[in-house]
Amino acid sequence: MRPWRLRCLMAALAVLTPTASQAHLVTTRLGDFYDGALHPMTGFEFALPWLALVILAALQGPARGRWLILAFPIGLLAGATLSAWLPGLSFVQFVNIAAIAGIGLLVALAMQLPMAVFLGLSLLVGLANGYENGEAMVFNTDRFLFICGVTAIGYTFAVLALALATSFLVGRGGWRTIALRAGGSWIAAVGIMVAGFQLSGLYHT
Amino acid sequence: MKGIGIQPALAAAALFALIEPALAHTGTDTVFGFQTGFLHPISGPDHLVAMVAVGLWGAQLGAPAIWILPITFPLVMAIGGVLGVVGIPVPFVETVIALSAVALGLVVALRLRPPLWAAAVLVAVFAIFHGYAHGRELPGAADPVGYGVGFVVATGLLHLAGILIGTLTRRPLGAQAVRACGAAIACAGLFFLVT
Repeated sequence: MRPWRLRCLMAALAVLTPTASQAHLVTTRLGDFYDGALHPMTGFEFALPWLALVILAALQGPARGRWLILAFPIGLLAGATLSAWLPGLSFVQFVNIAAIAGIGLLVALAMQLPMAVFLGLSLLVGLANGYENGEAMVFNTDRFLFICGVTAIGYTFAVLALALATSFLVGRGGWRTIALRAGGSWIAAVGIMVAGFQLSGLYHT
Repeated sequence: MKGIGIQPALAAAALFALIEPALAHTGTDTVFGFQTGFLHPISGPDHLVAMVAVGLWGAQLGAPAIWILPITFPLVMAIGGVLGVVGIPVPFVETVIALSAVALGLVVALRLRPPLWAAAVLVAVFAIFHGYAHGRELPGAADPVGYGVGFVVATGLLHLAGILIGTLTRRPLGAQAVRACGAAIACAGLFFLVT
């Protein structure tokens, strides 16, 4: 190999190998919209209720489950906006954790819910989760962009994950529903434990 | 190697290549919590063999036990986890966990087929003690939710591994192999019990 090629190769290696330092994981440095969009992925307490709700929606069937795509982002939008106006509602954190346990159990039982209950649940989970995400906004955050980011990722996740879960369910084999129900029991188990932890007064984020 | 500065450049490249991300707050993030929780059932051989035995027994019993037992286990385990988190004293935890490996290994080895409710109750009782052991670690975890997700997922995957091995029961030789696995698990449990 010629020396200049070797130098180029080594320079490329030197440039490509190091990765960014991660002192502040939440800030994306891509702007407040992306901060909002990525914030729900920074903790399982945000992602688990979303996942459980999507699986529950898939188990309700396409006709009813599709309403999640409307109700959930509206809940997120309202919750994140509420957090900007009325911050510090500590009970919302428990609602969020209890939702993990409750919806996980509904999934494990493959419960068919009345339409109004399902819509209300989607809104409530969106509201609590949006509020919890909105609490991450600080004084110099562009609230509009952050809230839009949270809502947009919620909408995108609901559409894609619901499509995936629904298409998974329509495939052949009874094991598919069982697999989702087992997933629900896992989610419920996490929710029950963390809810117990929270009620014990030891859990603080 | 010819050329001006190629050796310093090589040395510099080697130094750069060794660089790793700076983690200002090591051990406090979600990934660390998940990792710790995930490794807890896997790194404890007593937990590991008992979880695999649950899957083996479910597969041996067939439907609906094949899915009822692995769904029951994490839910009841969560109750044990809450007891551990809150700090309610539960006696003989390690002994019962070792006993669970002995008992579950034996039922697989002997190919026992009790009524479904009896199988579910047996698994549920042991699940409380396994959950308790996991739950005791949860308050000290970097991210309690991540820790919880980690150990529940690991437990579920161990059940799944047991179920996959248990599918061998469809063939005569495979059924014998599964029973041998059960016997090995019972022996391992006995070893944990004695030591």
